[in-house]
Amino acid sequence: MKHSLNQWLQKVTLHRLMPSSCRILPCVLLFGVTVHADESKLFLEKVAPILETHCLRCHYPGNEEGDVSLATPDDLRDGGYLDVRNGDQSHLLDLVEPVRAGKKPEMPEDGDPLSSEQVGVLRKWVVQGALWPEGKVLKEASQADASWWAFQALKEVSVPGVTKAPVSWKRNPVDAFIFEELQNQHLSPSVPTSRRQLIRRLCFDLTGLPPSVEQVKRFVGDPSPDAYEHLVDRLLASPHYGERWGRHWLDVIRFGESRGFERNEIIRNAWPFRDYVIRSFNQDKPLSRLIKEHLAGDQLGPNQPDVEIGTTFLVCGPYDDVGNQDPAQAAQIRANTIDEMIRASSEAFLGLTVGCARCHHHKFDPISQEDYYRWYATFAGVRHGSREIASNAEREQRKRMMEPLDAERNGLAKERERLEIVILKRAEMKKDLFAESWTRDPIKRTGVEERFEKRLAKYVRLIVEGTESNPYASSGYGIDEFEVWTPGKAGQNVASLALGGSAKGASRIAEDFVKAYSAQLTIDGEYGARWIARGSELSITLSRPTEIDRIYFSSDRGGDAGNQPVANFVSEYRLEVSSDGEQWEKVADSHDRQPVNEAHRKWRWMMMEQTSEERQQLKGLDLAIARLDRERKDVPELPRWWAGNFTGIEESTYVFIGGNPQRKGKEVVSASLSAFDTSFEGYRLDPGAAEGKRRLALANWLVSSENPLTPRVWVNRIWQKHFGQGLVSTPSDFGVMGSQPSHADLLDWLAGQLLDNGWRMKPLHKLLVMSQAYRQSSTFRADAARADADSRFLWRFPPRRLSAEEIRDSMLKVSGVLKLEMGGAGFKLYRYLQDNVATYQPLDHHGSETYRRGIYHHNARAAIVDLMTEFDCPDPAFPAPRRASTTTPLQALTLLNHSFTLDMAKALSNQLDQDSAGDEERWVTLAYSRSYGRNPTESELQKALAFKADLGGVLFCRALFNSNEFIHID
Amino acid sequence: MMKTPTQSAWQALRNRRGFLHDVYTGLAGVGLTALLRQEGLADGPRTWEPGFGQTHHLPKASRVLQIFCPGAASHMDLWEHKPGLDQWHGKPLPGEEAFLSFQGKNGNLMRSPWPFVARGQSGKKISSMLPYMARHVDDIAFFHGMHSKTNTHGPGCVFMNTGHPTEGFPSTGAWMSYALGSANENLPTYVAIPDVRGEPPNGKANWSNGFLPARHQAILMSAQQPIRNLSRPGVVSASEEQRTRSLIEFLNQQHAEDRSGDSALQARMAAYELAARMQLSAPEVSDLSREPDSVRKLYGVGDSNTLKDGYAQNCILARRLLERGVRYVNLYCASRASGVDGLLNWDAHKTLKSDYERHCPIFDQPTAALLTDLKQRGMLDDTLVLWTTEFGRMPTHQEGTSGRDHNPDGFTCWMAGAGVKGGMSYGATDQFGRRAAINPTTVWDFYGTVLHLLGFDHERLSYYYNGFDRRLTDVHGGVVRDVLA
Repeated sequence: MKHSLNQWLQKVTLHRLMPSSCRILPCVLLFGVTVHADESKLFLEKVAPILETHCLRCHYPGNEEGDVSLATPDDLRDGGYLDVRNGDQSHLLDLVEPVRAGKKPEMPEDGDPLSSEQVGVLRKWVVQGALWPEGKVLKEASQADASWWAFQALKEVSVPGVTKAPVSWKRNPVDAFIFEELQNQHLSPSVPTSRRQLIRRLCFDLTGLPPSVEQVKRFVGDPSPDAYEHLVDRLLASPHYGERWGRHWLDVIRFGESRGFERNEIIRNAWPFRDYVIRSFNQDKPLSRLIKEHLAGDQLGPNQPDVEIGTTFLVCGPYDDVGNQDPAQAAQIRANTIDEMIRASSEAFLGLTVGCARCHHHKFDPISQEDYYRWYATFAGVRHGSREIASNAEREQRKRMMEPLDAERNGLAKERERLEIVILKRAEMKKDLFAESWTRDPIKRTGVEERFEKRLAKYVRLIVEGTESNPYASSGYGIDEFEVWTPGKAGQNVASLALGGSAKGASRIAEDFVKAYSAQLTIDGEYGARWIARGSELSITLSRPTEIDRIYFSSDRGGDAGNQPVANFVSEYRLEVSSDGEQWEKVADSHDRQPVNEAHRKWRWMMMEQTSEERQQLKGLDLAIARLDRERKDVPELPRWWAGNFTGIEESTYVFIGGNPQRKGKEVVSASLSAFDTSFEGYRLDPGAAEGKRRLALANWLVSSENPLTPRVWVNRIWQKHFGQGLVSTPSDFGVMGSQPSHADLLDWLAGQLLDNGWRMKPLHKLLVMSQAYRQSSTFRADAARADADSRFLWRFPPRRLSAEEIRDSMLKVSGVLKLEMGGAGFKLYRYLQDNVATYQPLDHHGSETYRRGIYHHNARAAIVDLMTEFDCPDPAFPAPRRASTTTPLQALTLLNHSFTLDMAKALSNQLDQDSAGDEERWVTLAYSRSYGRNPTESELQKALAFKADLGGVLFCRALFNSNEFIHID
Repeated sequence: MMKTPTQSAWQALRNRRGFLHDVYTGLAGVGLTALLRQEGLADGPRTWEPGFGQTHHLPKASRVLQIFCPGAASHMDLWEHKPGLDQWHGKPLPGEEAFLSFQGKNGNLMRSPWPFVARGQSGKKISSMLPYMARHVDDIAFFHGMHSKTNTHGPGCVFMNTGHPTEGFPSTGAWMSYALGSANENLPTYVAIPDVRGEPPNGKANWSNGFLPARHQAILMSAQQPIRNLSRPGVVSASEEQRTRSLIEFLNQQHAEDRSGDSALQARMAAYELAARMQLSAPEVSDLSREPDSVRKLYGVGDSNTLKDGYAQNCILARRLLERGVRYVNLYCASRASGVDGLLNWDAHKTLKSDYERHCPIFDQPTAALLTDLKQRGMLDDTLVLWTTEFGRMPTHQEGTSGRDHNPDGFTCWMAGAGVKGGMSYGATDQFGRRAAINPTTVWDFYGTVLHLLGFDHERLSYYYNGFDRRLTDVHGGVVRDVLA
């Protein structure tokens, strides 16, 4: 890769140094005098490359950072960056020179400062009069242009003739390509692997599951020459194929089931998309169709749930839904959300990092900033969220059922409202009379005092009958302190924790920090933090029966909450005491206090004025409304799924200068990437093009038969998953920073095959796994390894460690407890807690409801999940085109110590006990064949028998799960 | 007793110098590096490569303690004295009368509820709410001109920890683990200590490995919460465990026999041995009862305020981890946004006074004690202490409240210890504290400086991911040389 980069740099430099037409350009001296053309040499050869490399990134037409473009001399001249008389004093030089040694100069703001040599060039240029050839427009050169290999049309490739290849390597075209390159590298392929290893390799590869003991036996014992082909066909037809390959795809498209960012709320209805992906792969849906459904399923099949659900792709990435009143920040957040979609789409389908052109042209690839905002215009109407996805018939049916119920309910609600008005009107006439009984001051948040005759008490309780914000509610209020005093000047607050008091009361729950809102806060002697009640009662228990005569409580003792809802207080209450906890005596209530607010006053009027007949009437209405609400709830809801929500686009799309939504540059429309314009037909939509048409146009362009990248990127992903590494080893980056293909011709040939097969994957899978390259042994050969350590040229089949899901699925399967049911809501290996924001707590024990395949795990973002996280299951914060395969002590700790391993060990051991019927040797043999797909050697058998005899079968199975052989395949 | 290291696995490593490098980098994050060096097996490469304990230039700091006060701790109520607020108290903020911040409208300028007092030889003015921290002003370089890109907590915290406001990027500790590898084979390289009140905004994204290999993520532990899955299952006895490990070793040896060239297999065997050592070391480091009473008292352990007690214990744990070779400790004081603004963290939207009168006493004594303790032990010489928060607060009060809204345009962070000039203030906000005005400093500058002190050129410490050589400092940042001792 370095090599190619250097070549590139050379090419770019040469291009700059020899602009053939420049020599004859007339030049302008910035300040007016025309000079000879050859005097512009300094500018063209030295100055222009500096400006192009270091300045134009941020200062070019359409992205004038600081309102300066350096593509032409205009802004330099007009902005006073050059000093006419004393060139040496020009402001331009101040900007690029360090103010003092070691300090970074002001410009370039990003990236390396200019070298002193470069500053010298600029100085010389300015002193000589700052010549700029007339009409010369500078342009930042990305390292690659449209001639970059990945942008070229698919080559017509013929399969190489490999005369020296063994016969078996001449049958499959794939082998011919591989063998030819091996020859070039002076390497030779390996012998075919054993059937035992082959079936294990293939089963994991195509289904993600180990073969059963019987499957291995049958295959190893089958003498027919097409036994392998039959196995391949069977596995490709298995529903588990879609689970395995669907998982790969979900990684690539960062499918996650929580929203990410601060709130990170769980998304409970995105799983239909996961099932849709599995189904699509199992059906071998053409990838062109899949891509179109992902981007524009709503356009292809409106009201067809199975098609529309594809658009979940657009919105299954993380996004910030906190909400922001600052309009500039809100615009930035929206831009970030669209950016996430642009990145996900361009990387997944095109293998291009279009996102890198957000603030300026792509530094490496020929993607302009306008290109980026063309895609921005394409996604500008997409929003995250749930929506009803149903057929028209389903919608109609629900409407028919709901309409009469809604009408009836609204009628009753109106009737109730009318009755209330009548009562309140009557009450208003008697308001003075009512008020006469309210003799005491209203309740104050800073403190309510109740004094009473002293009496002995051990228990004190506050019973709440209404709250400030809602007089009808007796929950949801806050109390920061509740004090119970002994008589006299030297009285003590005996409720306090310090004096042995305790407090009980239902509270708002924060499971990750249970004390957050607890009733304890009312007696901790600290103000500010409040008990947030979820019930109508606070009970205080004193350390011993004590004489008391005063109670004082508040919701805002410090007084700094004012009228804010945060200190919502009680409005109506009773206080009761008891010495035994059974006989209670009321010592005070709020009924003779003035109401705290208008709502409270009206509530009192309602209570005092309504006749018993009216009371009955209201009660009857409430019951009827409640009944209707139940009936409405019983009408089956239309499915609400997490999928793309689409809104019309009112505004034009502009380039955001420097990526800042507040700085609008030139207007752009939804269009294809410009670098491809010369190679195949692109599109450019009207500014007012309908939102859905934009996505559809992009989708059609991506799967155009002339688009070379989409099929290349796909076949490379398929190759990568079969052989451990892509022909291009950066599967989502086919640009300059990505790697070059190891077998360029093979890549194009395979891409052609994909198109010939109508974008179907299964024929391609078969082609690859039928090859000798795939079927060869993985045995290590030191000589070959010295030349090609990671087996990129496939002198052997590269062995691999299983993925997190494979490890877990295997443990479940060999233990005989794996539930193979497909689809539906996922299981969770964490506890989901939500208190304003979400917290995902790992679980010490995994119940049997979790014994499903890993793909059905509800993968939330920023959740650490035992076993899965340690074995490199990626957090879907970003796309994961490749899985890492790391080795850490934490893996050992989890696999040894988490109860899941022990549970599986017990299940396997029980299973073996049953199957071996007391025959110890058979027990061990079965343990080996279930776990490793082979029988033990004699020494292994003896060792196992001895261990089992001493420590038992469960611990033996635990050791098996922790062994290398269990999680590595050859 | 375990034999450490197991002869076979190490022997295999020794015998395979050609492939040593794979294993070596593969396990750099888990401590093999140091071990190999002790055994004279590894000199490391000549040119700089990540994971070998090498730096770009001579480092001042060999470990980092980052204290994070999530919720946006108010700069003008804790660290940066703004007399302009006293003067203009109750008057509108000139030019921004109609400014809408995160939660909406703002009222007039509001003075800090607490006086500031000049302390130390530097005469640095600091809030009277922080009497213990005030004793350390001469050790601290304050960055008063910090500004952020976002006014939202989650992205703000993640930005402050990873240099990027979207989740998925590696945190500073992960970068350090990647760059240096481990200094102690028995303990993790990077530890995050969450507060007893829960995780910070955006939770685990704050100590994520991002796209770096998983071994670089922080291990989560606190005085209240041991490392997950650290101890063997209760039903397995010590001797059974020992025999199980021998059996695993036997199984692996059998398996490795005809796969002699595959270093991944040996690496995994070594990882099991390292796990066993961690099982011995981690409980020791967490055992705070080994600390003398005088030390516990210094930190405030046992305080009747259980939140302070919990944080104080975590402060001691942080020191013990750093002492034993953990390279990066990310210590939190407060947690996430709750149902009540400012209840569980420093997010004083509505009632600044009562919120901070709860938070400051939790933070003040234990943090100050940690600085005192590090200094007394001579550890401050090569430990870089960072104090960070995600952004600042508005100089005005939020409409209808006595609290302050979010303000990404100006805030304070500070550094102390290794290579840092104490008793100085770099940069400042304007007279009200609204915006960074003098020497505005980005998160990238802050970490450019941190990396410099750790011996790295922040522009050269990079990792390729999807189209780009990614950096902690993105494509920005410089080194703030004024604060270098």
